[in-house]
Amino acid sequence: MIEDDFYRTSSQFRLWSFTEESLRTVRQKTNSLASDRVRIALRRAREARQSANSSAAGTPNPNGSDADSKAGEEKDIECLTSEEEQDLVRYYCEQIIQLGESYKPPMPSIVRATAIQYLRRFYLTNSPMTYHPKTIMPCALFIATKTDNYYMSLRQFADGVPGDTTAEDIIAPEFLVMQSLRFTFDVRHPFRGLEGGIMELNAISQGLGEPAPHLPNQSAEDLRRAILSLPPPLNTPSPPSISDRLARAHHNTREILKSAAQMTDAYFLYTPSQIWLSALSLADAPLAQFYLDTKLPNPTESEHPLAQLRAKLLQTLSSCATLLQSYKPLGSDPEQKKAMRRIGKKLYHCQNPEKVNLAGQKRIPAAAAAAIASAAGNPSDTPTPDSEMERLAKKRKLEAEQQKAGNDIFGGDLVMERTRDRQA
Amino acid sequence: MAVSPLAPQSFQSRASEEVADREITEQMNDEVRHKYIKAKKLGEGTYAVVYLGHIRTDPTSFVAIKKIKVNTEYRDGLSMDAIREVKYLQELSHPNVIALHDVFSSKDQNLNLVLEYLPRGDLEMLIKDSDIHYGAADVKAWMGMLTRGIWFCHENFVLHRDIKPNNLLIASDGEVKLADFGLARSFADPYSNMTHQVITRWYRPPELLYGARQYSGAVDIWSVGMVFAELLLRVPFVAGNSDLDQITKICEAFGTPTEENWPGVSKLPNFIPADNNHTVPTQGREFFLRQFPTAGSVGADLLMSMCSLDPRKRSTAYQALQHSWWTAEPRPTNKEYLPRKSGGTRKMGDDLTRRGGELDDQFKNAARQLDFGSMKG
Repeated sequence: MIEDDFYRTSSQFRLWSFTEESLRTVRQKTNSLASDRVRIALRRAREARQSANSSAAGTPNPNGSDADSKAGEEKDIECLTSEEEQDLVRYYCEQIIQLGESYKPPMPSIVRATAIQYLRRFYLTNSPMTYHPKTIMPCALFIATKTDNYYMSLRQFADGVPGDTTAEDIIAPEFLVMQSLRFTFDVRHPFRGLEGGIMELNAISQGLGEPAPHLPNQSAEDLRRAILSLPPPLNTPSPPSISDRLARAHHNTREILKSAAQMTDAYFLYTPSQIWLSALSLADAPLAQFYLDTKLPNPTESEHPLAQLRAKLLQTLSSCATLLQSYKPLGSDPEQKKAMRRIGKKLYHCQNPEKVNLAGQKRIPAAAAAAIASAAGNPSDTPTPDSEMERLAKKRKLEAEQQKAGNDIFGGDLVMERTRDRQA
Repeated sequence: MAVSPLAPQSFQSRASEEVADREITEQMNDEVRHKYIKAKKLGEGTYAVVYLGHIRTDPTSFVAIKKIKVNTEYRDGLSMDAIREVKYLQELSHPNVIALHDVFSSKDQNLNLVLEYLPRGDLEMLIKDSDIHYGAADVKAWMGMLTRGIWFCHENFVLHRDIKPNNLLIASDGEVKLADFGLARSFADPYSNMTHQVITRWYRPPELLYGARQYSGAVDIWSVGMVFAELLLRVPFVAGNSDLDQITKICEAFGTPTEENWPGVSKLPNFIPADNNHTVPTQGREFFLRQFPTAGSVGADLLMSMCSLDPRKRSTAYQALQHSWWTAEPRPTNKEYLPRKSGGTRKMGDDLTRRGGELDDQFKNAARQLDFGSMKG
């Protein structure tokens, strides 16, 4: 068995790898389904209000008479586009980095990276219009602490979440998130591969390199000489020594893996080794090229199977590198910030009212639920539509008031709070 | 989608609408859940209930459905045992690792694991049943399957951390399957810590008893060695009644750990320096051959390599698989002809409802819980 075979058995490959085309299709489907649902739900809510009003006024409300206004109002419900959804999710992925940073000690990058991938996977089949990312994000991070062996109690975790988010709020959507992750928790990150590659390069630079299977004639000394005579990386001053160069490449590659690799579709489209090699090529192109050359010969005739493999690999790496380069952090881009405010405002008007409380539903064991239901004299454990509607109407009213009161668009936005803190 | 206007009395139509209104992920879950039928209960423990089930379209293809109970004591969501088990079984697909066919949630938000049906009990059952006779060829077959299973885990960077005879279940064709991944985790990155409170005591290696926080697949190999010894002796080889007693018994059996035979051992957190009057020299090949005559000299050599006190000198799963014992006479028994015992279905029910690290009921006093506080680096 070679490493690729192992990777192909992973859930990341089986369930969470896509082509650009299939990824777009999945998101499009999620978006259009959620948009339909939002329109229906908002109409249902409005009709409930109207019928309540009309029955209170004692006037019958014949069907059809308000058809025109119905169509008119429906057009008013402007839903998020798939692109807007992605921008919003990316914003909350950045929030995960910040939230993780705020703990003492800060959470390991790997835990944050896992949480980001959970959030990204979650929003492949769920829309922010259905479940607001502000409720899902902390839960994704808490699940990651559990799955990545960085155990802390929910209480401890909740204390670190700014605002009035309670432990119950955080844990409430856990089951929903896990179900959307299709109960796969393992995320294959590019970090470990990078560590291995840097160790190999260090060994080579010290004359301890080992020949690759395809290149049995390499000697440790040849490899050492070759790495020492590499041209310097583009646009950077020549590093004082090879160990400095490797340390710098290591650091810069890691930074790319912690940011751009998390915030783009890299994990969905490429394997962990493709990702870290592409990131290394951005940090130090000649070094990445050299590393590949130690593994893969470069036959002159283009028909050679190894030459074709190499061409294919280089093309994949270069498109992955382009993707990684496309990432611009929100904080450094006023245009994006402006766009985010607009999307947030838009989301406020197209949030599915029937799902607002779903994330707030407690995970009740069957027995307990039955006990509650029987105590209440209600055989069903679902709330009645009437009381539910009332509750939702209240909740929306409350939210609308908060909105008027000048609360910002995301209702307790972490970054904003943090900057306020800093300024204070 | 047609939407009927919602009048207060149209309760019924709204309920049916809600079914059609399922979210994408709910629909996917429904599809999985619908594939299986739960038949009868096989066993119930504090941690889970196990049902016999089958595929809806094929009543002859059995599965075991393990429904994880919600732990009311644990308020932090899904328990770590369940998370670990699901996380690792989702990734490991090998003939000697219990197969996780599917995971779904039932409507009360309980987690259901659809596992391979293993109706022939476990190795503990066979070891304890004095009516069952087995020989070196049978032991070799079982050990081969166990070692391949653990090799595959380690190759995927997964430590099992609870290998013992009653976690080694037997399929209807005689194949041994490594089960219960409730204590499993992936290898830690260099320099980061793990908990030492893992592996049921009798199968726990000396480095964990001494409190090592950085360890490798060697911990599982020690357990594999202990299972090997137990298969040969038909009783647990080193059965301490406390952690301290376990260390004492290991020293008596295999030798006293010293800086000479295990460099660095004295720096482990819970290391107990040996009483100079009671040191036991490290046991050599003759000891293993004398203790385990049925293994033959080649088999004793393999066992010895798995029971090295110093984890760095212990064989890896890969090295163990390359040992000459596997190809020496007698050849391993074909799995179809291995000794079998009835009543395995109930045993599977019991095995799958245990929490990780628990001993069977008769050893209840020895059962431990994971110390989560000590897990953080």
